[in-house]
Amino acid sequence: MRLAIDVMGGDYAPREIVAGALQWAEQSEDTLLLVGNEYLIKEELQLYQYPTERLEIIPASQVVEMNESPASALRKKKDASIIVATRLIQAGQADAVVSCGSTGAQLAAAIFILGRLEGIDRPPIVASIPNQAGSYSLVVDVGANVDCKATQLLQFALLGKAYASIVMQLGNPRIGLLNNGEEEGKGNSLAIEAYKLLKDQKDLNFVGNIEGRDLFADKCDVIVCDGFIGNIVLKNMEGLAALVAQACIAELGRLPAFFERFDYTRVGGAPLLGVNGVSIVCHGSSKREAVFNGIKTATECVKKDIINQQKIVLQTTV
Amino acid sequence: MQEFFEIVRKILAEQLSRDESEITMESTFEELEADSIDIVEMIMALEDIYNLEFPEDDLEDYSNLGDLVKALYEYLQQVQK
Repeated sequence: MRLAIDVMGGDYAPREIVAGALQWAEQSEDTLLLVGNEYLIKEELQLYQYPTERLEIIPASQVVEMNESPASALRKKKDASIIVATRLIQAGQADAVVSCGSTGAQLAAAIFILGRLEGIDRPPIVASIPNQAGSYSLVVDVGANVDCKATQLLQFALLGKAYASIVMQLGNPRIGLLNNGEEEGKGNSLAIEAYKLLKDQKDLNFVGNIEGRDLFADKCDVIVCDGFIGNIVLKNMEGLAALVAQACIAELGRLPAFFERFDYTRVGGAPLLGVNGVSIVCHGSSKREAVFNGIKTATECVKKDIINQQKIVLQTTV
Repeated sequence: MQEFFEIVRKILAEQLSRDESEITMESTFEELEADSIDIVEMIMALEDIYNLEFPEDDLEDYSNLGDLVKALYEYLQQVQK
């Protein structure tokens, strides 16, 4: 497998990104394409011994900064690392791209370079959260689209259904809409409109509204929300987990084993759904372990053929 | 200019699933619920039609559709001279 790594994106780029990529190269047979500033990458590589035959440097002279308008950056910075990395998939030179940089830029690159799957306006990011059944629920979208239309939430539900059937082998996953009340008619205008669309959609096992306290209650397999709310949910979980971890260490002197299920570095990254290629979005604060696991997620998505699997589900439901 | 705007209107109407009559020169992007991805998509569609590349301006500089259309049209006129 050939994996394009955006080495310039993220709070700890390029050092931690290169380190995570090298860890993956050492324990796999994959070829890693390190995309970014050639000089900086070579400087980092000098610090390690690595399998040179499975590492390639792909020069990219620009970086999309976190404060830039992603869509404008896409036009202005044609040699940005995320653009160059995504083009490698388009050119058939890479099977997946992994980035810890600007999510918006990665989204824009995926939309305009890889293209969207039929019937999809805006690709969402999917993330899994632990639930009380000892399994996981999927949350779609966790940050790619902050302003959504009701039709887009319906598309997120369909993509969530597709992804749940791929990664959780669920034939007819339960779909819930994150809202501030369980009853139909609750919520803001977006939630009310989205509820109607979800309820009317054929072949969708819509179980209704899910309140914030029921996120972990195993009431549904796929939780649909816009990226603004989804990102707050995810970051809130991170913050709460850190607070509880601190209290556990203070009282018990150690972290209980279940905490591993809340550790984002163990997941590493989440795929953008609804685009015609595997693009893995990693946390901006990723260090080497998270990068390593983000690359692992990319290889799993390629092996599971998530693009064609999504196409199959979309063809039967859209 | 009007002919150019009609092309823009047609592209946007299809992209945003709106009636063409809802799209005017005075429309703000907010009113049209068009985000920066929509605008870039529209510009790229125009680039395909006219076989050129428009300048890479900051899209945030335009407060409404009319301002953007005028800027794109002026560039088109320059190129076609």
